[in-house]
Amino acid sequence: MDTIQFDILTISGAILLIATFGIVATRGFMDWLNAYRYQSIVLSGVTAIIGYVTGIWEIYIAAGLTLVIKSIIIPKVLTYVTRKLEIEFKLETNPYVSIRASVIISALLVALSYFLIQQIPFKSDQIVNAYLPVSMAQFFIGLFVLVNRRTVLSQVVGLLIIENGLFLFAMALTHGVSLLIEIGIFVDILVGILISSILLFRISRTFDSLDVGKLENLRDD
Amino acid sequence: MDTLISNLTILFLLLPPVVGACLVTVLKKKRVIGAITICTASLILIQVLFVVSRIISQKTITAFGNAFYVDSLSAVILLSISVVGFVAAIYSKNYMGRQYDNGTVDDKHIVRYYQGFNVFLLTMLVVPIANNLGVMWVMVEATTLVSVLLIMLYFKENAIEAAWKYLIIATVGLSFALIGTVFFYYANINTNPSEDAMNWTGMVHNAKLFDPNLVKIAFVFILVGFGTKAGLAPMHTWLPDAHSEAPTPVSAVLSGVLLNCAFYGIIRFHIVSSVAIGPGFSNQLLIILAVVSIVIAAASIYFQKDMKRMLAYSSVEHMGLISLGIGFGGLLGIYGAILQIINHALAKPLMFFASGTISQKYDAKAMSKITGIIKVMPITGILFLIGGLALVGMPPFNIFVSEFMILSSGFKSGQFVAVSIVILFLVVTFAVFLRHLIKMIFGDPSSEMKKSEMGKLAILPMAILGSLVVILGIYIPVQLQTLIQNASTVISNGGFA
Repeated sequence: MDTIQFDILTISGAILLIATFGIVATRGFMDWLNAYRYQSIVLSGVTAIIGYVTGIWEIYIAAGLTLVIKSIIIPKVLTYVTRKLEIEFKLETNPYVSIRASVIISALLVALSYFLIQQIPFKSDQIVNAYLPVSMAQFFIGLFVLVNRRTVLSQVVGLLIIENGLFLFAMALTHGVSLLIEIGIFVDILVGILISSILLFRISRTFDSLDVGKLENLRDD
Repeated sequence: MDTLISNLTILFLLLPPVVGACLVTVLKKKRVIGAITICTASLILIQVLFVVSRIISQKTITAFGNAFYVDSLSAVILLSISVVGFVAAIYSKNYMGRQYDNGTVDDKHIVRYYQGFNVFLLTMLVVPIANNLGVMWVMVEATTLVSVLLIMLYFKENAIEAAWKYLIIATVGLSFALIGTVFFYYANINTNPSEDAMNWTGMVHNAKLFDPNLVKIAFVFILVGFGTKAGLAPMHTWLPDAHSEAPTPVSAVLSGVLLNCAFYGIIRFHIVSSVAIGPGFSNQLLIILAVVSIVIAAASIYFQKDMKRMLAYSSVEHMGLISLGIGFGGLLGIYGAILQIINHALAKPLMFFASGTISQKYDAKAMSKITGIIKVMPITGILFLIGGLALVGMPPFNIFVSEFMILSSGFKSGQFVAVSIVILFLVVTFAVFLRHLIKMIFGDPSSEMKKSEMGKLAILPMAILGSLVVILGIYIPVQLQTLIQNASTVISNGGFA
């Protein structure tokens, strides 16, 4: 029984990582969004597995919320606000590090997070062992996407990956920090995404571009 | 009976901004909504004064079960929020009215502004009174979102750029703080899985049993996370943009109060970590960040051309000083740091209000275009001078007192290297800041400037703050002294007053 459970945990963690790599390896905004949707569905499955293993019913609600908000509402909102944007704004044509190199860097980040998690004194626990490094890897990859990509849209996607990593981190380590707070965090994300989509629209209107490199009026000189 | 009073106290603290935001949404008349916001801000101020008087007599208030916990430290932050909120509400009426008259904003923007202002006050008020650290995190993130909306009120390129940078950097920074919070929670449920494991009171209670390595990692995450929001260097890069591009009353609230709210988060976890592993570890980190902040702020002020950006960098410097005081520790240092929180919350909004009025008058933000303020607007000029002298730490104004305490506590605790670096760069800031200030205030104005002030409602908030800056430099009322004394005891004594 225990080995089967362990296999399920490991495999689902691996699927989650593959979904994250899907975002790193693609250029178009719609591809990211699909990869993000896929990642969120897997995340909600992973959350449900944590709920099953620990037997805490609140976690199922969090899993349901993840499914509804992250795999349906957020992609819908982002598709809606970007429908009027021109196609060249949605393509990451010129990231600071090329796509090929960023896949390799992401793989290194995964290795780094496995290494870091081993250094921290956790109680040995199957869920922690299986998911914590994955969540850390998601966090790091999200940060990497955020600093590496040049379009404003991909920064939003980077934020979303970071947030998924955080969610999994809290779930895996403490089995959920209480439903009330999780709902608060969900609301924060939703409002944050709404605000960033309004901003996206304004940036595209005023700067006639979504390149972050163009946002450099404010300096100290 | 006593719990009922406590519940009502908290309820009446949070009710005015909620009602205010609703009324603004419903009424929508430009004249009325400004007055409503002044009403809500003054109701908050009255209620906070009531809370403070209760805190002085009974030290803590717990309400709605364990959901809210107010002690002297929270009361200090509440006090700064309510005072600055009150003066900013008065100033808003004049400032936004003028922006409306020159066509910078329209009716829709004004409604949005006042809605945002009320909600902003609400989110900030919850931060220091929430016992649950997760709720505190959610509210700090909420302050980011609301203030981003307030900054992007204008459609200017710069405002949009500042809002974007602020949103991304603060959100990423706060995600570190959430990781730190979860780590602390994990350390707590490992030793004592109970209902209030996420509450600050529960955490301090069990902190002695925490795994020391875990606490160290957790505190680093907290410091990076809330430090980003508090504007500590090197995570401060969003701050000068956001604070200089926001509407002036919002800049005042951002600089004077919001930074304190974020720093409050650091202090709460600093207390937990001090109980768990002794104060040495977190003190050392706080001192390092403080010194970096003060050095970077001095360098940036030196090269500054924009008035509001200079003030924003001065906020980085002052947050550094607060962090320095907490880091040096000892009752003197902590007392100085808390006094510095209050003093900075009075002097910085004064400077922002004055600079907002001045840049409306001169229609410029670049310091080279502003000369002879004292001849064009005598009252504003004098208040600007008072605020500026206070900010650089000139006696007899209030910040001198707290800076002196912080620096002498540094000598007392034997941190000679840190203190000497800090003093060196404070002198640099002093000289450069004063040079900029004197160039703007004295000298001859260009001939087409007419001599006139910008209206009573613009002068009144500055006059209130200016007189407080002068008074607190000479004499600190006994009640305030007791409050600060108790708050310092809370920090140095592991959460107990």
